[in-house]
Amino acid sequence: MMKLEFPMEISGIFARWVRKLVRRPTNLTFSMIQPLIWFLLFTQAFQAVANIPFFKQYTGTDSYLTFFSAAVIVQTVLSSALQSGLGMVDDVESGYLDKMRVTPVRRASILMGKVFSDGFRIVLQVGIIIILGYVLGVNIATGLPGIGLILVLAMFFGIAWSGISTFVALATKNSESTLVISIMFVFPMLFLSTAVMPKQLLAPWVQTFASYNPVSYVADAVRSLIISGYDWTLIGQAFLMIFVVGVITLSATTAMFRRALAK
Amino acid sequence: MSSIITVDNLVKIYNPDIRAVDGISFAVDKGEIFGFLGPNGAGKSTAIKVLTTLLKKTSGDVKVKGFDLESDAREIRRIIGYASQEVGVDTDLTGMENIYLQCRFHHIPKDKARIKATELVKMVGLTDAANRRAGTYSGGMKRRLDLATALVSDPEILFLDEPTTGLDPQSRRAIWDYIRELNNKGTTIFLTTQYMEEADQLAHRLCIIDNGKIVAEGEPAKLKAQIGADLIKFRVIGDEDPGVLKNAIDVVSSIVGVKDVRDCSKGGADCVEGVALYSENGSNLVPLIVRALDSAHLEIVNLTLSKPSLDDVFIKFTGKQLRTESVKMPAKVGYRTRRR
Ligand SMILES: Nc1ncnc2c1ncn2[C@@H]1O[C@H](COP(=O)(O)OP(=O)(O)O)[C@@H](O)[C@H]1O
Ligand SMILES: [Mg+2]
Repeated sequence: MMKLEFPMEISGIFARWVRKLVRRPTNLTFSMIQPLIWFLLFTQAFQAVANIPFFKQYTGTDSYLTFFSAAVIVQTVLSSALQSGLGMVDDVESGYLDKMRVTPVRRASILMGKVFSDGFRIVLQVGIIIILGYVLGVNIATGLPGIGLILVLAMFFGIAWSGISTFVALATKNSESTLVISIMFVFPMLFLSTAVMPKQLLAPWVQTFASYNPVSYVADAVRSLIISGYDWTLIGQAFLMIFVVGVITLSATTAMFRRALAK
Repeated sequence: MSSIITVDNLVKIYNPDIRAVDGISFAVDKGEIFGFLGPNGAGKSTAIKVLTTLLKKTSGDVKVKGFDLESDAREIRRIIGYASQEVGVDTDLTGMENIYLQCRFHHIPKDKARIKATELVKMVGLTDAANRRAGTYSGGMKRRLDLATALVSDPEILFLDEPTTGLDPQSRRAIWDYIRELNNKGTTIFLTTQYMEEADQLAHRLCIIDNGKIVAEGEPAKLKAQIGADLIKFRVIGDEDPGVLKNAIDVVSSIVGVKDVRDCSKGGADCVEGVALYSENGSNLVPLIVRALDSAHLEIVNLTLSKPSLDDVFIKFTGKQLRTESVKMPAKVGYRTRRR
């Protein structure tokens, strides 16, 4: 009985968030607008980037579109993750969180159901981007299994990165602050990584930063799956980085969740 | 009767130094409707949140069905239902989904949950709206849905924080009916309200709370009697003459239901001249008073009836005006005597 209760709670809360997402499609499209604009605009406007010397040598492809699709996938994950905290703020404000807390439901289930639903949303959004990329002419070297692996990477990275937004949400209990603060973890982290430019073309200090930036590792792994094939070193490093980020953000979030509840 | 909730010297201080609940003690009997009556900011919600395990108390002793608030929180959550002042329904979900989800939180199996949800939706009169999103509901419907979600586990104790604040009279009456119905089935109910009338209609016993402290406690009828029932004031022609005044006082004092008849010229909190008296049912008494004085050939020049209001309660027990804006105004009814 005890063992069944836990999954029942998590699936109930997960289902709630998925339902809310379906009922409010703007929540799905909201964080995708920018990546979509990038995808369409940049890849059309900056095709010439691929003509710069050594581009093919550095990247393994002569198509800026293909190279850039990895950046757009990572960007989608980052922007999607930043909206994760918003639902939590809503629940605090509306009193729904209290509504859950007076029931025997476990605190962990409230958080885990939410986190899994964030992962689900991110996979959905990245899936849409990949389909769009296919339409635009991106060729994914590793085919369907590679796409599956990209989605898995996106999901775990998204869940880990969502921890930042949920942490800020619980700390500020305010949607504007949550968005404003979390957005600082999108563009700076994206531009100071190897997602948008091959590493060799970045300024030296950016190269240094990028080599410590988890975003670089995920971008490199995704890109290798798109352009060349299974580079297990890159994939392994990416998962390791995601794990480290996840442990940090999710334990901070859990601690903040407990603090927010123990008033 | 045995107590199901006991609270001894409960204190809740918010950071940095807001004493929202400032040393209250009371006990709720099993099977009763217990009310907390007080203005905005009195500490009602804070108290209810401590009792429902949502807030940590600062100090004091609280037992809910013998369980400790902290070490047995999960046990308490199994036996209570709570409808918050904020109305915690998910507006993206339908009424039915809201209830069903709440069933999941209480670990009620799927098939039972469906039956339960259908039953509850019917009970609160939302069957027709059950498959609409709660976001499209009116304030009254949301309250009723919220009440339904609080009932999924057939709670032994139901906590209702201002269940009818802001509702129209019809919705209010509907909610009162559900509360009575539940109580008749044996549910203990802890209710907070800003409305004197609500406390009066529902509560078997109540505490009047202000500034985090309990200022009065007891059965509404007894409290009301203390608070002052309807106040009737009148003057008769020639009452400057002490003999006439005494005559008038004697005449009305002999009427059944009249209490505390006073000569206002001797001073008093609520009048300066003529005669004042209290009665629990002033409107019925006015004709009797008029007739009795008439028979004694005393001619009334002026008579007023004031109903007790929450303001009176507070003036009486706290020595100050009620700070809320949303309470009913004292109904001042003026009577003019007809000359024959
Ligand atoms: N989270 C909080 N932090 C600080 N002060 C609070 C908080 N909640 C309520 N208060 C204060 O505590 C007092 C009691 O509030 P509350 O319990 O909500 O009263 P009521 O429900 O009777 O209107 C008020 O002065 C209110 O401003
Ligand atoms: Mg309140």
